[in-house]
Amino acid sequence: MSHARALQSLMRVVTPLAASMSINEVADLFLAAEHRAFLSLPVVDENNRPLGLVSRATLQDIFMQRFGRDLRGRHPVGEVMNEAPLIVSLEAGLEEAAKQVTAQLQYPITEDFILIDAQGEYCGLGTVLDLLKAMEARVAQRNRVLRQALVDLKESQAQLLQSEKMASLGQMVAGVAHELNTPLGYVKNNVQLLRELSEPLFELAAAQARLGQCLNDPDCDEASLSQALHAAEQARQQAAPELLAEDLKQLYGDTLYGLEQIAELVIGLKDFARLDRAMSEEVDLNDCIRSALLIARNHIKDKAEVVQQLGELPRIACAPSQINQVLLNLLTNAAQAIDGMGRIQIRSWADAQGIHVSLQDNGRGMPPEVMVKIFDPFFTTKPVGQGTGLGLSISYKIVQDHGGQIRVASEPGRGTRFLISLPLPATVAMKRSA
Amino acid sequence: MSAPVRIMFVDDEERILRSLALQFRRHYEVLTESDPLRALQRLREEHVDVLVSDQRMPQMSGAQLLAEAREIVPNTLRILLTGYSDLDAAVDAVNNGGIFRYLTKPWDQQEMAFTLRQAAELAVRQTQPLQAVASEKLSAPLTLLLLDDEPGTLGVVGEFCVAGGHNLLRARNLAEAMLMLNNETVDILVSDLKLAGEDTAPLLKTLAQAHPRLLSLVVTPFQDTQALLRLVNEAQIFRYLPKPIRRGLFEKGLKAAAEQALIWRTQPQPLVSRLAEVPRDEREQEKVGSLMGMLGRLRERLIA
Repeated sequence: MSHARALQSLMRVVTPLAASMSINEVADLFLAAEHRAFLSLPVVDENNRPLGLVSRATLQDIFMQRFGRDLRGRHPVGEVMNEAPLIVSLEAGLEEAAKQVTAQLQYPITEDFILIDAQGEYCGLGTVLDLLKAMEARVAQRNRVLRQALVDLKESQAQLLQSEKMASLGQMVAGVAHELNTPLGYVKNNVQLLRELSEPLFELAAAQARLGQCLNDPDCDEASLSQALHAAEQARQQAAPELLAEDLKQLYGDTLYGLEQIAELVIGLKDFARLDRAMSEEVDLNDCIRSALLIARNHIKDKAEVVQQLGELPRIACAPSQINQVLLNLLTNAAQAIDGMGRIQIRSWADAQGIHVSLQDNGRGMPPEVMVKIFDPFFTTKPVGQGTGLGLSISYKIVQDHGGQIRVASEPGRGTRFLISLPLPATVAMKRSA
Repeated sequence: MSAPVRIMFVDDEERILRSLALQFRRHYEVLTESDPLRALQRLREEHVDVLVSDQRMPQMSGAQLLAEAREIVPNTLRILLTGYSDLDAAVDAVNNGGIFRYLTKPWDQQEMAFTLRQAAELAVRQTQPLQAVASEKLSAPLTLLLLDDEPGTLGVVGEFCVAGGHNLLRARNLAEAMLMLNNETVDILVSDLKLAGEDTAPLLKTLAQAHPRLLSLVVTPFQDTQALLRLVNEAQIFRYLPKPIRRGLFEKGLKAAAEQALIWRTQPQPLVSRLAEVPRDEREQEKVGSLMGMLGRLRERLIA
């Protein structure tokens, strides 16, 4: 409907001519004020069906010839009209009309186009200029829509990035929470055991205190003394401090160890997030590796043995929380790629080109057709709902933003190796000055 | 005095083992292993009544250990003790490990003690030898009750019943289900967690107490480790099958349930090793209580 209306608004009402009208008469009509805007006038038959268009240019050509008007002025206009004019149905959409008009239009533009209704009857004229204006308005509107779509897209991309970040953060938090449960389990139990086990010691102390009192009291009779002695001995047997000593030592030791484990995990979490530090600073990438390993430990422990070969690295400026995110992503991917018990090898070294971190697993590996896509956003081989398909594309972007490179090599059945290379500060500076 | 109940704890964290050993050494003979492979070896060599395993261990998962232990010593009661809420592992432990309880770290001392006491009691009961079973008894028809209106579930259960000559009952809502449970002896229950908008978990939990011989297979699109944990502990479900149903897995589960039901049918009541915990949630407790009342007639018949 809106399409039909679009052409309707372009239509100009012009009284059509009969083919029998003389050229002179038509020439006079062209001079009339209401026809100024037109390049041509329509000719219809008795049934109001379009026969053709008489153009201003044709008449000018005739009149420009010597005696043209005298020779042909009285001829019917039907003789000089274009019998194959541009005819556009009012039912057509604006795009359709524009396509039809531009396809048939010839240079120079000497005619307008005829608008007909669904029955093929003449309705009015349309001018190319009006059509162009309408098209331009349409394009402007499209642009507005596209611009809005772009804004929306950017927003949803930001949201996706955020949700991927939340997903990996959530994974990390859940992992650490679970990791905490093991030391929490025995620490809690141990403290309860310590309370139970130390109970008899207090009773023993109390019994011995009563015995001491009795011994110091001259009024204490033989029977009470013997009773107190007996009670103290019983309490001693009950408490069995000589047997308890070993247990208590063990329990205290384990409990302290567990609390240290818990503290280490909490510090690790804090280090990993680095929310309390500046965006860029002098960072030892090995610390990032160790921090990511601590966080990923629970994902990896039943999947792979981790072999670390960390070389000495110069400190570089980077966003450690982002680098940690990349490393955690690669580590969890590696663990997920392993069936049964495997091996993950992490190496780091520095050379003239920069700092390199290599992460290699002996998991399933990938065929080439998968490998070329892994850094593409939304590409995932995991079941729906398990991966956003953004992890590696974000990792790629993070490394790129650091002026570095992330490369991958993989072989099905043998495993996958990722190599992250970050430039040294000097090379970055050189690149900037170059 | 009879031989002390032997409980084996398996965990890759030695401190967990030491802590548990210290807690329970006065009541049971406690064995500990940090290596699941050695644990399996010991199960072959010595008697163990109750096996408690961690889930995440470098050599093998707890679910895997419990599944293998089940093959070696089917009468040993299996308990999973884990700090991870990993649904896949939990489903695996239910379906393949046939676990008696699912406990979480950090554990509650009282609760753990109570669970082990229950397991120990059941273990002692089980030491009575199973009565010999005539083979023709093992192919008698069973009665299945289906509480799920999904055609996929009906298809598989229907075929299974036709092939095995079993009776199939279907209820559209909980009220109908109660009626059928009161009028028929149902051996196997296949149920979604939702039936006509109603929660079926209280019924499953009630049946675990009122009718320990009835085996429940849960089919559900719902994926929640906590809910599964309660279904294990309070309803002693036999299988947990996530929807969409995987046909092969479902058929295997039905077959295993039928075998178990037929064996139990031939044994005296106390030998049946199904013992559920009373639900924690108070509202659910009430619900189970009232359902118990409605199942009164059933209970009377069972006792008779």
